[in-house]
Amino acid sequence: MTELLVKNACVIDPLRGINGETMDIAIRDGKIVEEVSDAAEVIDARGMLTLPGGVDSHTHICGTKVNFGRYMSPEDMRAGRTPRRGAMHATSGYSVPTTYGNSYRYSVMGYTTLLEGAMAPLEARHTHEEFTYTPLQDTMANTLFDGNWAILEAIRDGDVKRVAAIIAWTLKAVKGFGVKLTNPGGTEAWQWGKNVSCIRDPVPYFEVTPAEIIRSIVEANELLHLPHSVHLHCNNLGTPGNYSCTLGSFGLIPDLNEKRQTLYATHVQFHAYGGSEWKDFCSKSEPIARFVDMRPQIVMDMGQVMFGRTTTMTADGPMEFNLYRLHHEKWSNHDVELETGSGIIPVIYRRKNLVNSIMWAIGLELALLTKSPWQCLLSTDNPNGAPFVKYPEIIGLLMSKRYRDAEFATVHPDTESRVPLPAIERELDWHEIAVMTRAGAARALGIQDLGKGHLAPGADADVAIYPLKIDEVDPSAEYQKVIDAFSRTEYTIKRGRVVARRGECLVHGSNATLWVAPKVSDGYDMGKDPDFIEKFDRYYTVRMSNYPVQEEYVTRNRRIETEAEL
Amino acid sequence: MKVTLAMKPAAKWFIPIEAESIVPKNFLSGTDLRVWRGNRELRLDEVFSVSVEGDADRAEDVEVVLSGDTFRLKRVGEYLDAGKITVLGGIGMHCGNFMSGGTIEIHGNADGWLGREMAGGTIVCRGDAADYCASGYRGGRKGMKGGTVEVFGRAGDFLAESLAGGTVIVHGDAGDMTGAEMRGGTLVVHGDCSRPAANMKDGSCYVYGTARGMIPTFKKIGTVQHDGRTLIRFSGDLANRGKGNLFVKGYEYLD
Amino acid sequence: MIVKDAVCPFCGCLCDDIEVEVEEGRVVAVTNACELGTTKFMGEKRMKNPILRVGDEWKDITYDEAVKYAADMLLAAERPLLYGWSGTHGEAQCVGVHMAELIHGVIDNTSSVCHGPSILAIQEVGHPGCTLGVVKNRADLVIYWGSNPIDAHPRHLSRYTRYAEGFFLENAFRDRKVIVVDVRKTESANIADEFIKIRPGGDYAVLSALRAIVQGKADTIPRTVAGVTREQLVRVANLCKSAKFGAVYFGLGLTMTQGKYKNIRNAIELVSELSRHTKFTISAMRGHYNVYGSNEVNTWMTGYPFGIDFSRGIAFYNPGETTAVDILARKECDAALIVGSDPAAHFPRKCLEHLAEIPVVQLDPYPNATTAFCNVQIPVAVTGIDAEGTAYRMDGVPIRTRRVLSSDYLSDEEVLARMYALMQEARER
Ligand SMILES: [Zn+2]
Repeated sequence: MTELLVKNACVIDPLRGINGETMDIAIRDGKIVEEVSDAAEVIDARGMLTLPGGVDSHTHICGTKVNFGRYMSPEDMRAGRTPRRGAMHATSGYSVPTTYGNSYRYSVMGYTTLLEGAMAPLEARHTHEEFTYTPLQDTMANTLFDGNWAILEAIRDGDVKRVAAIIAWTLKAVKGFGVKLTNPGGTEAWQWGKNVSCIRDPVPYFEVTPAEIIRSIVEANELLHLPHSVHLHCNNLGTPGNYSCTLGSFGLIPDLNEKRQTLYATHVQFHAYGGSEWKDFCSKSEPIARFVDMRPQIVMDMGQVMFGRTTTMTADGPMEFNLYRLHHEKWSNHDVELETGSGIIPVIYRRKNLVNSIMWAIGLELALLTKSPWQCLLSTDNPNGAPFVKYPEIIGLLMSKRYRDAEFATVHPDTESRVPLPAIERELDWHEIAVMTRAGAARALGIQDLGKGHLAPGADADVAIYPLKIDEVDPSAEYQKVIDAFSRTEYTIKRGRVVARRGECLVHGSNATLWVAPKVSDGYDMGKDPDFIEKFDRYYTVRMSNYPVQEEYVTRNRRIETEAEL
Repeated sequence: MKVTLAMKPAAKWFIPIEAESIVPKNFLSGTDLRVWRGNRELRLDEVFSVSVEGDADRAEDVEVVLSGDTFRLKRVGEYLDAGKITVLGGIGMHCGNFMSGGTIEIHGNADGWLGREMAGGTIVCRGDAADYCASGYRGGRKGMKGGTVEVFGRAGDFLAESLAGGTVIVHGDAGDMTGAEMRGGTLVVHGDCSRPAANMKDGSCYVYGTARGMIPTFKKIGTVQHDGRTLIRFSGDLANRGKGNLFVKGYEYLD
Repeated sequence: MIVKDAVCPFCGCLCDDIEVEVEEGRVVAVTNACELGTTKFMGEKRMKNPILRVGDEWKDITYDEAVKYAADMLLAAERPLLYGWSGTHGEAQCVGVHMAELIHGVIDNTSSVCHGPSILAIQEVGHPGCTLGVVKNRADLVIYWGSNPIDAHPRHLSRYTRYAEGFFLENAFRDRKVIVVDVRKTESANIADEFIKIRPGGDYAVLSALRAIVQGKADTIPRTVAGVTREQLVRVANLCKSAKFGAVYFGLGLTMTQGKYKNIRNAIELVSELSRHTKFTISAMRGHYNVYGSNEVNTWMTGYPFGIDFSRGIAFYNPGETTAVDILARKECDAALIVGSDPAAHFPRKCLEHLAEIPVVQLDPYPNATTAFCNVQIPVAVTGIDAEGTAYRMDGVPIRTRRVLSSDYLSDEEVLARMYALMQEARER
């Protein structure tokens, strides 16, 4: 039995309605408990800001695409190298760090749970292998279903239950967590070098539209009672005028779940563009935020862009090709048979560039204009908008109008006429930041009942203590202090152990993988479905028996069973 | 101030030594510097006999002279910004990496990556330079951005790869893929070379000898007079939508 | 006993539909595999136990002794080289990386003598690729450039291209065109619809010419380029542009000939150019069954796919300097651990001269050419036969190889983990 007592912590724990109370946190064997014995080790938090461990609900850290981003970028690798030191292995990389690099840097910022945003089922084993080497965070993987042939056929046949059954079989086989749709239909079209323009444009051969895909899969997701909702990367990412397509997609979503949203829309900054071409490109954050305000069934994340060098990587192959034609930088693409695809290019977001400046403003506007922080979570779609190490600066920007104004003065001068940002006075408070970076993310992912995102007895003892006293710092003026504090915890506690202290990671860690196994009746077990098996055998190049990810790949297996209505 | 570093003989002479600490400004505060032989950190005086004459307040007034068997000494003059380094013999890889000012003079041959990603200053190599002289780094878009590299002997393959600025002059022949991916700057080869300026985007490449294996996607523009020579001018590389200039005395296609 | 859907640990195709019949702890029959794979499964004459060279003799030693020898050797070295890795499973490769990091050594894999140039090219311009099944189901044009699948990847044609069924092809054999580009008429060229014969060393020029022609600049191209007529080049460019889905597979004929990675870069840029007109992809015909896995493991753990030098604690990458052939040829290491490869069979003599002068430990199930250079050899189980673990197919698809029979041999991972534990202990002291 190991016990730990964090004394005098200034706790903000939004899921429990605690906002800045000074209290003790008792920990036994990795869990939060009511109290511990006198033998417990004691950490005196001395009134420092103490939050549940950070939860990133959309990041790209592990798997085929991420690793290809590293593989093709030795120039990025050399931008951030550290040697092996104490419990820490060597790290490399800035925008796409090695797995250890990701894990240590996230840990130092107080993050303890990460959702990998996109995993192709066929290559799931790779994602899980990298999870093993991301030792200081619990991980889970969004599983890509945007171009899944069996699902497209079932949708064409109007059989939502079969859609659900295929999702159930696949999630279980590949040990996935949630359902991800990236440019639904577009990734399949891209395997012909084509794309879909918006939600009413049919997918070649399969003749179903993105709207039908989104609606059917949302319905199927709820039939399976998955912890997380459908996680959508809308069609048409990054094109002027795409906000109407985004609103159209949002409009498809009924409110089907009491506990959480029915749709998680990711990196909405990239989908909130007005104008008809780059020349009249402008922000449409206002209509998006207004729309979301009226619909509790939608939660989004920012997809904030920050200036500097980064690497874009998404399952959205056609979008990456368009970026390549724009920048003529190096371009990688990887289509995955019967399932999905991905693309990667390095980019530099520049202050002097009008489009980049507008993008930077839009992400902030979404967070500031959306009334409830539970509906707009903090993200950069790491590393697409910026590497996650920029989160503290984003927090600073959201909490300080003065900081925003100072930054605004350095961006392209025409930005002012294209975005509402300068007129927005709102400054987020500590509680709202806590929602956007942990409580809200945990609730959106549906993992609060698994003990994530809060500090109630029974929860995982994942705690972040930041070297800052909220009653002594005025974030509006002293934003640099806020940035510094969120960049480096005093203590990061993961499963009851101090894993990071003042920038150093202290243990190798023992992370867990969360995955979902929906229980379906025999008739909906695709593993026994003759048609499914026959097509699998004929068109995949991997045998069906070699497709599922074996137990060997799952570290500290946390299997979540759901009762499906099938 | 003149610092003389004479290489001592070593038992494991074949293990390369990395000595990026050897730049003039570091000697302003003494000679207590470290170098690495493989994975072992050594004091400068474990590897060299060190002698110092005179003193100086600024790097500009420091000259470092290297003597002995220095051909396995890597990264000398990395990030050099002022002062002078004179190498009496040959020098190992990555000499003058990232340098932005000052002078390096090598009396012998230089190994690979001489002046890699250089931004300014001058490198003179009296002997031959091996592959990737004045080039970029793996995966990088830009190679050398400024300064001058002059080689009096021959240069190896991939000379001035991705050259983006500055001047590179080779008095002897150069190897294969001379000036590949050039995007700026000026490259002059007095002798022959193979497949010059492949995939070039911009910049000027001069070959006073013969260009062997001439890339077929350059467009012949005509002849020009240059420094008393008649050269044939090409534009390209068309395959890369390039707008670079390639001037050659003679050329042969691989047809 | 018959093991179904076994995974063939021979080439980068990583065929996973093999049936292996096992009787009394021996493989007696193999179905579906090509000749190369069958030979590997049937392999015999394994080394029985670790051996140590004493003068001109070999002496049998225990695993513990062998492991200790290796650990001491690597700890004492100023620039140890850890080489090979493409013939073992990913879990062992991971231990190898941790080891290199701990002892500040250089870790490199066999890419440096096969597709290293392809990786360098990808690092310059990226890689438009796809999994093999995308080609199988869609491609109506396949180009083999400098590769001879009939010899090196025998089932590539039947599983993915020429003789494969494809979802979007009504009659795949008839509707799918195959072009072979090479310096000589290979067996693979005989089954192609079009053969392009290039003069040796002329690949780069031909690729540049094709790029220009695809852009509509045929008029500036000389009448022949490296032995290929302009007419043929124009015809081929048109074939490419009019294909619905084109796929290029290239081999060592392109990576290891003059210009090396610039050839691959040019081929990739041709494919990127064609992607403006239609769907095109390009991929390397990776050799060893898990060479790509070694690149993957190295990349997520160190940031670089091969040739990683930890001498200074941080990872440094510079192929041509930090790669095994270069290090050995320049005598820049003082000990070597060889795992899952046989450098003595492939490396230039200059490299072997140095290998003969330094202490060498090899992990390999069989006596091989490198054995002659070893101070110690440690026999291990064969991944895919009596050990299991992860391998990455040439297109990046990870597959878990199966154990088809059990033996007393330790796996590479187990032996390396013991070595690593000893080293950690020594370093903590
Ligand atoms: Zn994303």
